[in-house]
Amino acid sequence: MNRFRYWSWFWLAIGAIYFFLPLVATAEFSMRAQKGTLSLLAYQRVLEDKEFVSSFLFSLRMALLTITFGILLIVPTAYWVHLRLPRMRPLVELLTLLPFVIPVIVLVFGMIRVYSSPPFLMTTTPATTDILLVAGYMVISLPYLYRSVDVGLRAMDVRSLTEAAQSLGAGWGTILFRIILPNLRTAALTGALLTLAIVIGELTLAQYLARPAFGPYMNLLGKNRAYEPAALSIMSFALTWAAMGVVYWLTRGEQAQIGGGH
Amino acid sequence: MGNPTKSFQFPWLNRKGRDARSARPASPLWDVFGLLPMLAFAFFFMLLPASSLVFGAFQGNDGQFTLQHFADLSQRFIIEGYRNSIQVSLVTALIGGVFGFILAYAITLGGLPPVVRAMVTTFAGVASNFAGVPLAFAFISTLGRTGLVTVVFKSAGYDLYKQGFNLYTFAGLSLTYLYFQFPLMILIMAPALDGLKREWQEASENLGANGFQYWRYVALPIILPSILGTMVLLFGNAFGAYATAFALTGGTLDLVTIMIGAQIRGNVLYDPGLGYAMAIGMVVIMAFSIIIYAWLQRRSERWLR
Amino acid sequence: MRTNKFVFQLFGLLVIATTVLTACGGTATEAPPVATEPLAATEPPAADPMAELIAAAQVEGMVTTIALPHDWCNYGEVIEGFKAKYGLEVNELDPSAGSGDEIEAVKANKDNPGPQAPDVIDVGFGFGPQIVEEGIVQPYKVSTWDTIPDNVKHLDGYWYGDYYGVLALQVNTNVVENVPQDWTDLLKPDYEGQVALAGDPRSSNQAIQSVFMTSLVNGGSLDDAAPGLDFWADVVAEGNFVPVIAETGTFARGETPIIVQWDYLALSDRDTLAGNPEVAVVVPPSVVWGGVYIQGISAYAPHPNAAKLWMEWLYSDEGQLLWLKGYCHPIRYNDLAARGVIPDDLAAALPPAELYAKAIFPTLDQLSAARELITTQWDTVVGVDVQESE
Repeated sequence: MNRFRYWSWFWLAIGAIYFFLPLVATAEFSMRAQKGTLSLLAYQRVLEDKEFVSSFLFSLRMALLTITFGILLIVPTAYWVHLRLPRMRPLVELLTLLPFVIPVIVLVFGMIRVYSSPPFLMTTTPATTDILLVAGYMVISLPYLYRSVDVGLRAMDVRSLTEAAQSLGAGWGTILFRIILPNLRTAALTGALLTLAIVIGELTLAQYLARPAFGPYMNLLGKNRAYEPAALSIMSFALTWAAMGVVYWLTRGEQAQIGGGH
Repeated sequence: MGNPTKSFQFPWLNRKGRDARSARPASPLWDVFGLLPMLAFAFFFMLLPASSLVFGAFQGNDGQFTLQHFADLSQRFIIEGYRNSIQVSLVTALIGGVFGFILAYAITLGGLPPVVRAMVTTFAGVASNFAGVPLAFAFISTLGRTGLVTVVFKSAGYDLYKQGFNLYTFAGLSLTYLYFQFPLMILIMAPALDGLKREWQEASENLGANGFQYWRYVALPIILPSILGTMVLLFGNAFGAYATAFALTGGTLDLVTIMIGAQIRGNVLYDPGLGYAMAIGMVVIMAFSIIIYAWLQRRSERWLR
Repeated sequence: MRTNKFVFQLFGLLVIATTVLTACGGTATEAPPVATEPLAATEPPAADPMAELIAAAQVEGMVTTIALPHDWCNYGEVIEGFKAKYGLEVNELDPSAGSGDEIEAVKANKDNPGPQAPDVIDVGFGFGPQIVEEGIVQPYKVSTWDTIPDNVKHLDGYWYGDYYGVLALQVNTNVVENVPQDWTDLLKPDYEGQVALAGDPRSSNQAIQSVFMTSLVNGGSLDDAAPGLDFWADVVAEGNFVPVIAETGTFARGETPIIVQWDYLALSDRDTLAGNPEVAVVVPPSVVWGGVYIQGISAYAPHPNAAKLWMEWLYSDEGQLLWLKGYCHPIRYNDLAARGVIPDDLAAALPPAELYAKAIFPTLDQLSAARELITTQWDTVVGVDVQESE
């Protein structure tokens, strides 16, 4: 196993170099805000802006809502497709890959057109606009969330688990929430992490729906500036990484593998 | 069968009778209702808003029905655009898939401490969405003419750009795209690798197979559908990418998404009908890739139930 | 408890559902839907209608703008000044929007009384005919209407020029020792891999004008933009072209140390960067190329009075001078200069007036012909070469 582990470290090292170099370069540039020396001036300027925290928290809230509703929508659907409708799988997958080909700007303008007049007037209050925003985020994160859950479902023996549960008298609700979902923990976590990153960095939807999210804030701040955007991207990277760490830590619990290795 | 733990058997079951009736793929007719939430969501928040895409593709500038936009798709620079987009997406999906898988393997079954997995997973989560201007800028800062790596190499006497390397090419763009392709592959494949029960490896060893044979005949076939599925995701991910390419290549490399952007949001071009037609072209290509994937999947699913 | 989780989820859904229903049922807390006023061109003669306008605008409470970066013509101060003077809110949408985006935003928000609908737009000169044709804007003549030159406004008041500038070279002198003084210098071997455009020539107004302008440098004319494409093909062939869209970041980094940009953007960048790096702004005297932008009030504006007040602000002496502070030449510049209201220090900070005196402003027809040519030919004449050099 030792030679094996050596290779793992090797590939990890290569990966680390590839991923950290661009970040180091960005950080180095961001510290050049003060002429001639390396300083944290750019970071200071960004942190002095009160909008920074409020917009980040707003996006965080939206992200949590998106994750919740996304999982509520996707997990039962993916489960059902696996169990009962394997022949419809290509169609469902096409549906989940459509967000890649619909330009976000078309999506947001379309949503505004449809939902800005009766009977669906949803753009006039913050709460209802937020619903549109979350729905839009769900659409964008759909491919990633679905794929994560799909892979997770493949890794477990869905049919046997369902049969076993049913033979013990479980209804669909119990099966989904007490048997399937716990086994999908890692996969759902993956999907949740991906969604979190997407929502926090998202720009166009929040921009055109006129909601105070982190993406538009970064955009407004970064316009015409040289060092602040670099500082911002490092900071948002770090903050999002921290947020993910928290999510990961909260859900690590028992990496339940009822369907996996004993 | 006489299985004592089951309460009763359905008499009309055939050889596959071990399945409980309600767990078998039954008639799709009623089962489609299970898809209702998803279909409703897709309708209200994807298809309805994007319907302007479909209608607009068939509308001329004065609003009448026309197929001209689709005819215009045959223009050389548009075909080039599709070709470039497909190329970049394929290349980054393949490379991203292979190396992403290797890394996913390293952190799951590769014998590394669990904290490494936590760090890589969370990092990958962020990196998978690190795109657009920040990513382009990061790579310009690293490998551009005045980038950190370029400067370091130059001071060591090795001029990357004189040797022919150029960040602002197809190769450079692919390299940049991989930054969000690798993490995506890692993130999604790690849980799949968890599903490879260790007993299988032990069992195959007991039967005399070596590592390679285990992989070739047991593990790979099982995990292949997931790998392929994720690679299709990677393909779509790269195919639909816009901001990164725009920030990096400016006006030189033709990609479909950039061209659509120019038509729809452009300061000057502004032929949205053509843009919509191009988007429909993208949908067709995505559908095609799914068909290929479904076919590949069906072949590899021979090993599963 | 087995049922706990399920009950919890159900409860959560109920909470959300009730929030949604109350929000939908309640009255809109944002701008109340305003009946669209008759689209007659109003010409407020004196101060009294102005007081009425202010009152009506204050009832509406806010104006929604789009595509106004704070450093573009000092819009930051323009916006703050408006807020301070009239007590209205300014709801700013996407500052990176292009002219096409602005028009799309107006169209998409046709029936929307909410804050996503832009009230006013600021687009490139070439978009004038289109926005009238498609009914995007409503006519309005500001009180200072007569001092706006005729060739940059729609005579019925649908759109009107707001400011102009000329193309200049923005140079990072930390990286570039020999600052280029004229357009033809861009072909010199000293500038290998250093020359960039500020946009995509297939869609950005600024980039297209940069190409159009070089046709005059290269022996073409206002009616023939093809030599402009050839010029850039030469720049590429010399190896001087960097295909990155220049931003302040890439400029400061030294990756795009020579940018062809509007002079007001170059000067404003110089101020923002404050010597880090050192910036030189050069307006080459051989061809001085002018570019105009235009304003309009959306035909579907949810806050039409606020929008009109905004226009009054922009075209007042105060507003125009704030633009001047951002290095843009306000459209009423000649009128302001004739009346002697321009402070000396502001005037001194601008490029020399003699250069501006010989600025060339193409007509709408020339613009659209050139735009047609450049956007379709860029890839074949210039782009393909770059790819082949891979």
